[in-house]
This record gives sequence, structure tokens and C-alpha cells, in this order.
Amino acid sequence: MRKFSNTYIFAYITALVLLITVVLTVAFSALKPRRDRNRQAEMYQQILRAAGHDIDREKAVVAFPQLAVPLTDDGRQYSIVCADGSKGIALRLDGKGLWGPIWGYAVLSEDGQTLKGISLDHKSETPGLGAKITQEAFLKSFEGKKLYDKKGDFVSVRVLKSGTSSEIAEENRVDAISGATITSRGVDEMMREITPIVKNVPLQPDNKE
Amino acid sequence: MKKYLGPLSKDNPILVQTLGVCSALAVTAQLKPAVVMALSVTVVCACSNFIISLIRNTIPPRIRIIVQLLVVSFFVILVDQMLQAYLYDVSKMLSVFVGLIITNCIVMGRLEAFALSHKPLPSLMDGVMNGVGYGLVLVVVAFFRELLGSGTLWNHPVVPQSWYAAGYLNNGLMILPPMALILVGSIIWVKNGVGDGKLRN
Repeated sequence: MRKFSNTYIFAYITALVLLITVVLTVAFSALKPRRDRNRQAEMYQQILRAAGHDIDREKAVVAFPQLAVPLTDDGRQYSIVCADGSKGIALRLDGKGLWGPIWGYAVLSEDGQTLKGISLDHKSETPGLGAKITQEAFLKSFEGKKLYDKKGDFVSVRVLKSGTSSEIAEENRVDAISGATITSRGVDEMMREITPIVKNVPLQPDNKE
Repeated sequence: MKKYLGPLSKDNPILVQTLGVCSALAVTAQLKPAVVMALSVTVVCACSNFIISLIRNTIPPRIRIIVQLLVVSFFVILVDQMLQAYLYDVSKMLSVFVGLIITNCIVMGRLEAFALSHKPLPSLMDGVMNGVGYGLVLVVVAFFRELLGSGTLWNHPVVPQSWYAAGYLNNGLMILPPMALILVGSIIWVKNGVGDGKLRN
């Protein structure tokens, strides 16, 4: 076997690491604009989906500025025109699932009484279990749910195993995904965060302009 | 040509070499991620086999594992960046699995066993074939897990509603990793106990 000196080994590995670093850095910077644009477009698409617009990512970029007006500077609240023509308020939600962050947008009716729709996404939930939160069937179950109970108290929309906690009425809850307890609980906690957010929503967004 | 066909069946990386079993369990709950994972592993395995084989005579044996690791992670990161820029939906689907490619024993196993001692083109072929052999098993396992566990294939429902109405239930265990292990184990048993696997003796 060929003998390699220590100097050769050090020089070899240094050169290799430098080469790889340079190539990866160039690739990273060159692709950054496209990556950022994809992420931005996806966010627009998520917000529009929550408002009921069935739209692909490219069209979302064009349509978003026409349909949504930011209510805050941090990009977490928008006044938005829903698919049925009514106005709603889109709120950013953040939470944690089993393996990583989960997030989404909830669109409330303008009076803050009804949940018009929701979109959810996740970084790394289990395919077939927690990852089902992005599926149409689960998201649809949120539509039209009430945020206040019969007595007029704010309860948000809870995500609970079917058949449990019967004191929460059907119009205030959706069924959790079976087998995905922790992810479902994460969505539940995210939904409960809507309470403090709603209080800060300026209720006449149109007057702001 | 024939000598490259080994990984497809007789010398299958998962079934006979029992490499890459961990990722075979992780990504097979549904068909789609399994197929994308198989493609990515094939690309990474082929490219790193090719590069390592090209520079095989300059690599000092004492640090060859580090060099292999560098080359493999380089390709994985590059593939990840490309996917995020040009195939965003695929990259979202793969999110957690891309990192798993680096730790996939098949890639490093083939570098050690083949690329270090063979010319670049045969190494490239070897990488492709091992990726495909790995992918075949993934697809078979994912097919059964998605069909029996979720009643869908490629996210399309295939079990008719009338079955559910008649009391048919999806098998929740199918989606969980233990069932993947049992399935892979069964296939390994069929392969080596009944079929032509090398382990049969």
C-alpha cells in the first residue's frame, strides 16, 4: 500500500474541505433568491387557502396583493377577501408538533365569531399520522366552527378525541387525528392561542388606510 | 452488464446485505415519499461512488472514511438545495428524509466495498443499481403499508367507501415503525428462506 505522509494528509483534507465549502457556498447563494421566493409564495398560498381560495403557488403570488391587506407590520394579521366574497381576518398561528414546529393560518369572520377556514403545515410530522393535519379532510372539519360557546364565552375551536370532554359542544370542536395524539394536541394549543390575538385585532381595518 | 444486476435481487442491499434498513422503516408509511427517497438515494449513491472512484488513488487510507463522509454530505446538501429551489413540493415532502441519506449505510457501504477499488464508470453503475435495488424494496413495503394502513395509494383512496360502511377498518399498526420492521423482516425471510438470497445456507 502507498504510504502517505502526515503533511500530505493534512493538505489533502484541508484542500477538500475548502473546495467543498466554496462550491456549496456558491450554490447556496446562487439559489437563495429562488428558495426565498418559493417560501414567500407558499406563505401567500397558505393564507389564501385558509380563506377558501383553491389556488396554486404561482397564481397566489399575483392574487395575494389584490385580496389581502396587512393589519400589522409583522405579517401575522391580514384583512382578506374570502372565496365566498365576504371579508375575514387571517391570523398566523405557531405551535409545536411531535417532531418539530407546526404552523398555519386561521381565517375568522370579520365579527370574530366564526372560523371560516384554516390551513396548516408542519416541518417533520410522521407521514400517515401527524402529517395528516395538512390533508383536506382534516382542514375542512374546521370550516364554519364557532369560536364562542352558547353562553357567549370564548372557547376557540378545540381539537379533541371524538367522544371525550362532552361539555364542549360540537360547534366548538373538531375530531383529533387518531394515532397522532401529540400533533393533534399541538394544533389544539395553537387554536387556543387565538384568544389573545383576537383582542388586538383592529376591528375596522378599512378605516386604517 | 450482468454483474451489475446483483443489487436488484441476489445481492439486494436491504434484503441480503441488510444495509439501509433504518431508512427503509422511516420513509415507507406512504408510497410517494418512498419513491422520492429511492430516487434521491440513487442519485447520491451514484454521484458519490463516481467521485470517490475518480480520486480513489489519492485518498490516504487513514482518513478515507472522513473523505467519503465529506463527499456524501456534499451531494446530499447540494441535492437538498436544488430541490428547494427547483422542485419545492418534492423538497417539502422529503424534508426530514434528506438528512437521512447521509447516514444511509448503503451509500458509505458501496463506497467502501466498491468505489475504492474500481474504475469510475463501473462504480457509477454500481451506485445506480444499488439505489434501484434499495428503491424496489422501499416501494414494495410502502405499497402494503399505505394500502393496508391508510386505504390509499399515492394519496388516492383505493379501498371503496362501501367496505368502510361494512365495517372494514384501516390497520393503524401498519403506519407505525414496528410494522415496517415486521414487513421488512418477512420479505428478508421470504428472500433468503425460500428465494435465491445469499444468506440461504
